[in-house]
Amino acid sequence: MALVVPLAASAQIALFTVNNGAEVPIGAVLDLGKVAVGDTASVRIRVRNIGTKTANITYFFADGVGFSVDRPTLPFPIAPGSVQDALLSFTQTTVAPLYPANLRVDSDINSVSAYVIAAVVVGPALTVFPACTGSNGPPPSIDFGPVQAGQVRLCNFSLQNPGAQDMTISTFQIAGAAFHISMGPSAPFTIPGGGAITFVVNFTPGAAASYTGSLAIATRTYSLKGTAFNTPLPTPLLEFDSGSIQSAQQRRLTMRLPSAAASSASGSVALAFLPDTTVATDDPAVVFLATGSRSLPFSVTQGSTLISIGGQTSAMFQTGTTSGRIRFTLSGVVTAGDPTTLLTIPATAMSIDSAIATRRLGDLDIQLTGFDNTYSAGVMTFTFSDISGQTLLPGAIRADFTQDFRTFFTKAQAGSAFQVRVSFPVTGDTSGIGSVDVQLSNSAGIKSQHLIFQ
Amino acid sequence: MKLVLGLAFWAGCAFAQSGIEVPAIGAIVDSTGTLRLVQGVAGNFWLGPAKVWGVLSAACSDRRCLVKTDSKILSPTGETDAPPGPAMFDIDGDEAILFFPQQGIFARWHADTLDTLDWAVNGEILSVRLRGAETEIAVRRDGQVWIVRPDGSVVDSIGESVGPVLLLPEGVLFAAADELVLRRQDAPEVRLPLSRAQSITAMGAHYAAVHAGNHVGNDAIYALRTEPGRESLFLLPGDTP
Repeated sequence: MALVVPLAASAQIALFTVNNGAEVPIGAVLDLGKVAVGDTASVRIRVRNIGTKTANITYFFADGVGFSVDRPTLPFPIAPGSVQDALLSFTQTTVAPLYPANLRVDSDINSVSAYVIAAVVVGPALTVFPACTGSNGPPPSIDFGPVQAGQVRLCNFSLQNPGAQDMTISTFQIAGAAFHISMGPSAPFTIPGGGAITFVVNFTPGAAASYTGSLAIATRTYSLKGTAFNTPLPTPLLEFDSGSIQSAQQRRLTMRLPSAAASSASGSVALAFLPDTTVATDDPAVVFLATGSRSLPFSVTQGSTLISIGGQTSAMFQTGTTSGRIRFTLSGVVTAGDPTTLLTIPATAMSIDSAIATRRLGDLDIQLTGFDNTYSAGVMTFTFSDISGQTLLPGAIRADFTQDFRTFFTKAQAGSAFQVRVSFPVTGDTSGIGSVDVQLSNSAGIKSQHLIFQ
Repeated sequence: MKLVLGLAFWAGCAFAQSGIEVPAIGAIVDSTGTLRLVQGVAGNFWLGPAKVWGVLSAACSDRRCLVKTDSKILSPTGETDAPPGPAMFDIDGDEAILFFPQQGIFARWHADTLDTLDWAVNGEILSVRLRGAETEIAVRRDGQVWIVRPDGSVVDSIGESVGPVLLLPEGVLFAAADELVLRRQDAPEVRLPLSRAQSITAMGAHYAAVHAGNHVGNDAIYALRTEPGRESLFLLPGDTP
């Protein structure tokens, strides 16, 4: 039998096991313990170069039936002070009290080895009843499935002893915050040959998330997993302050639930703009005003119907200067129905925000500021009157600036707000010109504006 | 009188060929000390790109904006050295009156030059107004706000102002408890609900910028339209990405 080489001062490489990050020197014997038939027992092995020269590893095997080592391809170097980890595994399908192996690592400086042993026993067989699913592996696992947050899922299990002899279960414990054994024996306990015991595990997630845990039974550890989802919210109602929706408005969005929320929830409310026109693809002024963006977080607390938007009871937004639809959508929550809400911004005749008519020497200037939410503006007529209100010849003067407006809208891509100045060259005295009637046409109608010259 | 002979599109600056441009409202100083142009029409605003950084104060008329950085007064035509700290402005045509609170100094700005004025006005200076050759000053003394001339003579008083004040060309805008009050000589007084107004500045020819909030993340900048008959309070888009 090859015995372990002690960590002599002259040693170049040394062997350790690593458990939860802690190194433990491997002695003469490394016992993997009892392994259930068909299961795999693994231990992390670390080769550390404790010398001052690079060690070139030329041999690294566990020579024995059922044993294997997962490590880099030979040969490989380990620099002074460095380590190389490997995974030593054992599995067998035949029951036997002793499976030996010689774990040996050779380097160009020195060699180390250890005697590794394992026993293969008949393990208990676990049966998982619906609604949970699972298997004895490999790898052993149990899935509790999706559960509504705050609710409990009970899973029933049967642990059988398939052998003829009594089986003592010395390890029977569960880990994981959302999992606990609600009914069953305490370790150690004995299962008679051919017999079984039953137990129940509760999965109780507090909030929507993925949960993991473990259930250790004798030589086998089952991974546990489950997911929790929030209770679907009653379909949120998106409501707006009263009054007809038009362009160039600042409106208020409130959100509420038709009935109290069964659990707290949070998500995002977003708006998107769908223009009627093909001249513009969007209207960037359609935003939530609090952030100048198109999305705000919202939240609702358990038992409440009030939805907080960005920490406030409501959220202001702009309707822009383009006819079309504003679509509000929610994300991040599960709702009973689709809360998507559409606001229609109707096409309207051109809107004038401000207008001024002024005289200059030789010119009459008209400045108009407004918007055309149809993006079809262009045709204008100007009818000048004297200070007594009499129309001046030649009467209505028609001008078509359609192409200019279209060019502007296409380039600006900033909604339909505009400021335009139109100058009329005049000869002679302009002081007698008192006013001008302006008509602005678009596809939705005609807007008239009477301006007094200043 | 000759007849109108014809028409021609006036060449604007943004789209010189079309004569159409994006409407400008004025400018504000955002929460990061950046001068931002405010564009759009009433009820539909957006903030243009950052123009100047490190701005302490700014005010705009229909013709120009003046910007105070820590050591300069910036205008569209140039810059001039100025005392450190913020400033109050009022612009009238090609001239402006300034007050530097840290130094308690009044000055007159013209063509990128700054001339110190030998004025001594007692109390907390809240706003200045330049109308032709005449200057008026809003000042708080013992909890009462007065409008005075540089020689100390009293023009008017504002009884209920508890917050910032902005003297307008033809009136005064001030913060009372939970509301803004727009008072003019030739128009009915207008009151608009708004609490926690921190400052009021001239955003442009027809708008005032009102900074409001509690300085704990709920700050907001409002645009108050001051034209008679069209007074409205709007919220400007925030600048969070």
